[in-house]
Amino acid sequence: MAAPNDGQGQYPPPQYPQEAPYGGYEGQASSPPPPQAGHADGGKKKKRGYATQAFEFGSGANSAATVGAPPPGGMPPMPGTPGFAGVQQPSPGYGGYPAQGYEQGGYGAPVPAPYDAQQPGAPAQPPVGGYQSPSYYAGAVAGGMGPLTQNMAGLNMGGPQQPAVPQQQQHQPPAQQPPRLALNQLYPTDLLNQPFNVSELDLPPPDCILPPNASVTQSPNANCPPKYIRSTLNAVPTTHSLLKKSKLPFALVIQPYAALHDIDDSVPVVQDQVIARCRRCRTYINPYVTFLDQGHRWRCNMCNLTNDVPQAFDWDAATQKSVNRWDRYELNHSVVEFVAPQEYMVRPPQPLVYLFLFDVSYASVSTGLLATSARTILDSLSRIPNADRRTRLGFIALDSSLHYFSIPKDDDENGETSMLVVSDLEEPFLPMPHDLLVPLTESRQSIENFLTKLPEMFQNNQNNGSCLGSALRAGHQLISPLGGKIVALSASLPNMGTGKLEMREDKKLLGTSKESGLLQTANSFYKSFAVECSKNQVSIDMFLFSSQYQDVASLSNLPRYTGGQTWFYPGFNAGRAEDAIKFASEFSDYLSSEIGLEAVLRVRASTGLRMSTFYGNFFNRSSDLCAFPAFPRDQCYVVEVAIDESLQKQFICLQAGVLYTTCNGERRIRVMTLSLPTTTNVADIYASADQCAITTYFSHKAVERALGSGLDAARDALQSKIIELLQTFKKELGGGSMGGGGLQFPANLRGLPVLFLGLIKNIGLRRSAQIPSDLRSAALCLLSTLPLPLLIQYIYPRLYSLHDMPDNAGVPDPETSQIVLPPPLNLSSERFVSYGLYLIDDGQSQFIWVGRDAVPQLLADVFGVQDRSQLRVGKGTIPELDNDFNERVRAVIQKSRDHLSRGVGSVTVPHLYIVREDGEPSLKLWAQTLLVEDRADQAMSLAQWMGSLREKVVQ
Amino acid sequence: MSGEAWLYLFAVLINAVNLFLQVFFTIMYSDLEWYVLAQLGTKASELHSAPSSSDYINPIDLCNRLNTYIIPEAAVHGFLTLLFLVNGYWVALVLNLPLLGWNIKKILDNTHLLDATEIFRKLNVHKKESFFKLGFHLIMFFFYLYSMIVALIKDEKA
Repeated sequence: MAAPNDGQGQYPPPQYPQEAPYGGYEGQASSPPPPQAGHADGGKKKKRGYATQAFEFGSGANSAATVGAPPPGGMPPMPGTPGFAGVQQPSPGYGGYPAQGYEQGGYGAPVPAPYDAQQPGAPAQPPVGGYQSPSYYAGAVAGGMGPLTQNMAGLNMGGPQQPAVPQQQQHQPPAQQPPRLALNQLYPTDLLNQPFNVSELDLPPPDCILPPNASVTQSPNANCPPKYIRSTLNAVPTTHSLLKKSKLPFALVIQPYAALHDIDDSVPVVQDQVIARCRRCRTYINPYVTFLDQGHRWRCNMCNLTNDVPQAFDWDAATQKSVNRWDRYELNHSVVEFVAPQEYMVRPPQPLVYLFLFDVSYASVSTGLLATSARTILDSLSRIPNADRRTRLGFIALDSSLHYFSIPKDDDENGETSMLVVSDLEEPFLPMPHDLLVPLTESRQSIENFLTKLPEMFQNNQNNGSCLGSALRAGHQLISPLGGKIVALSASLPNMGTGKLEMREDKKLLGTSKESGLLQTANSFYKSFAVECSKNQVSIDMFLFSSQYQDVASLSNLPRYTGGQTWFYPGFNAGRAEDAIKFASEFSDYLSSEIGLEAVLRVRASTGLRMSTFYGNFFNRSSDLCAFPAFPRDQCYVVEVAIDESLQKQFICLQAGVLYTTCNGERRIRVMTLSLPTTTNVADIYASADQCAITTYFSHKAVERALGSGLDAARDALQSKIIELLQTFKKELGGGSMGGGGLQFPANLRGLPVLFLGLIKNIGLRRSAQIPSDLRSAALCLLSTLPLPLLIQYIYPRLYSLHDMPDNAGVPDPETSQIVLPPPLNLSSERFVSYGLYLIDDGQSQFIWVGRDAVPQLLADVFGVQDRSQLRVGKGTIPELDNDFNERVRAVIQKSRDHLSRGVGSVTVPHLYIVREDGEPSLKLWAQTLLVEDRADQAMSLAQWMGSLREKVVQ
Repeated sequence: MSGEAWLYLFAVLINAVNLFLQVFFTIMYSDLEWYVLAQLGTKASELHSAPSSSDYINPIDLCNRLNTYIIPEAAVHGFLTLLFLVNGYWVALVLNLPLLGWNIKKILDNTHLLDATEIFRKLNVHKKESFFKLGFHLIMFFFYLYSMIVALIKDEKA
């Protein structure tokens, strides 16, 4: 058997030096989790052990180390008791603070033997033995080839500063094609013998290895970082039949923004309004074009047309000075933003408009929704982007009639906010033409007064009606001349007026094939109106709060087709501080987010490629143009690419462009260019496939299928797809050489079966008769919008063991000053010890799991209670106590919510639930459904799943 | 001319109407698709510049336009089938039943109308269906014509 380590030896011949496309990633990858050297000298550091037997010693050591006061337990302090737990423990397997387990694997819990084989701490294992993380080979390669790359670059290019470069490039005649690049090496592994390890999900996608000099400048930023675009295949098959043979999808996961605010994720902005584009295919100039004729012309890398280089590239007419074109951002950076000139506007850039629709029916008032939302808006007025002072706000209240509010300008002496009630719901009209939508700057004071008074106005409202549909139409009428956002906050089912919905959920239908009907739109108004809104640049966001059936399935159509989002807060009650804080902080962040307006997204690609299908929240205005009345910063989009003609080049390019108006009235284009190598063999395709992107693609696809043909069909499609992939791999590449009837799959795709299992068991798709259809619909919305890192976490939640986290976890890393998280664990109850404390986090909710035998000292340190029975389960918070462990636990929980450091923008603040293993069963069951690798009522465990896959594949 | 001949003549005419409608549908679908191809070439130009410009076929208008013809088409076909049933032309009836069933099923499922939000994803399905209907109507056209001639000849002989 050709062992992969042989492959390492013959890795790329020196003529083809490697390019390290993602500088940042490389660095990250080549430092595997440190093997915890600090543990050996635990004697100096304080140790914490929350073991069943050892808590008294634990308390002693702990308090001596932290507080230095006599311990509460009355035991004499035993300063500097190192590793006592290991000594104290009767059974070594249960080492409360498993020093030995740690040094081996970096995992707190005693791990089964085969597991060690793939721990990062054990690199001595032969590569066959597991997926060592790309760093193992990528690092080695980069280390070896790095200098060479530099030299070659120097020889060939003479540095990017010299204009002579393009000429040299041009002399590479395409006829003399150099032999194919050595792409990522394929490392087949056995899925059954080396179980999946959760840390593999955090590995960067396989490198995207481009030929040297692919980009016109040797900029490290020439290729698009995976944070913005991830391709399911980092090596593209040259023909359609090859793609079909591989059975893998070719799609891009595009997330144009990595943060809610520009300041957190800045992208170079080309200010001078010189935008060079190809005349034919309209591609924006990018680092992969080639220059011809002494740099007077450039050849488009997509369609090969030659275009003139704008004079402004070399000569600044304003200052009458020559400029260096190699300094231009668009030739050095794959992700740039252009300030768009007049031609890119059909009308003056629209101002930011927020129209709030308040539900003031009894349900909304009694749950405190009205008061909380009014208060949050009031507090967030300064956070709403208003740099150009044109931002406008409007307010409509709705119960069984519509209440308009006319808000005067601040300098209007006699102005007074007045309420106008319209009860004609069929043909809502605007009671007055102006003052319903007021500029925030000019009416700030009046708006504040109004928002303060609003809850009082309706505090005794007993009306149970909700005419949301009519209110939406009225709102649309009000803002459609400008465009903007309608923010609907509703706590009840729209039961009157246009778009009336009915309580159609029947508990008996749940879990049957009829359930799928509940996920579809009940009233066609919600589709046709969405299209209408999209046409008039109106985007709708739904904040839904009902404790009863609210038909999220129908209502979520409006955000789906208008670039909005559905936020669902089941059973919201502002009386609970956690609910109020969660909503208020999310809503405030949502209002502060710098959204784009009147946006369109288009993806262009090298000749031979075509964008075939688009997934995400937008409206397809033509087959390849996605229209977004408002462009959110916390969503991702999936674009499937079809290969129409065979690809001749060594690498191809894909360019996503978002034309939008910033929230301060500037027209801009964000351009992202991704370049991928091509290949003619299946092995390369598999070796360069990105499991997270593939999962994202299939998640979108599964949602589409669930809505169209039902949940069963969606689940079956997922299962047959993974079987198909495994079979294809076995047939094409397995070669049967591994023998033993194992299940072979490449190292970079090892997580795929688990992720598919997680997807099938996700609340959106799970087979169960217990899930209300509203929750399902909300989950389906998340599955089709969440940015990739959050989606993967939603499918395969994070599990951290807190009671035995290493000393460096929960405290800032000395170098990056970021909080260090404990190593994640696989989601299996086998990982749980009965005295443990765990954090399960799926990004939408967090569960603190308190084991059955948790020692009192642990509870006292973390929760400040003496006894398990005093522990309040359910939604809650970790109290702030003055001890080191409490601080670290809180730091871990907080860090686990940190979206920004993972390169995504999100407003979500997950709820924290405290779960006691012997506490309330329903909560416990809920937390357990997140343990994807366990057997659940109607779903398989990971072992069963792998077994069934194997049966189907091997037969 | 006998009743039979009249009936088939009527069928030929109605069928011709449906045939033309189906051709219209197919052209419209292809138009939408052709437009796409055109955009990839030269016409792509201004598109990125004008979010609400009108240089492409608007899927919303297209759907609205086509949707007005869907029910009438199904109704006319249903009426024709009914005529065959009433007059007892079993062969013609049986030939028409599959399409009638398909139309009724679509209307009952409320999927007969085109949905602007999904038109691009379902374009291929719609096109395929349109082609099948086109073929069906074409065959039926000749069948009715043939039946009509046969009936006329029978008239002559009688």
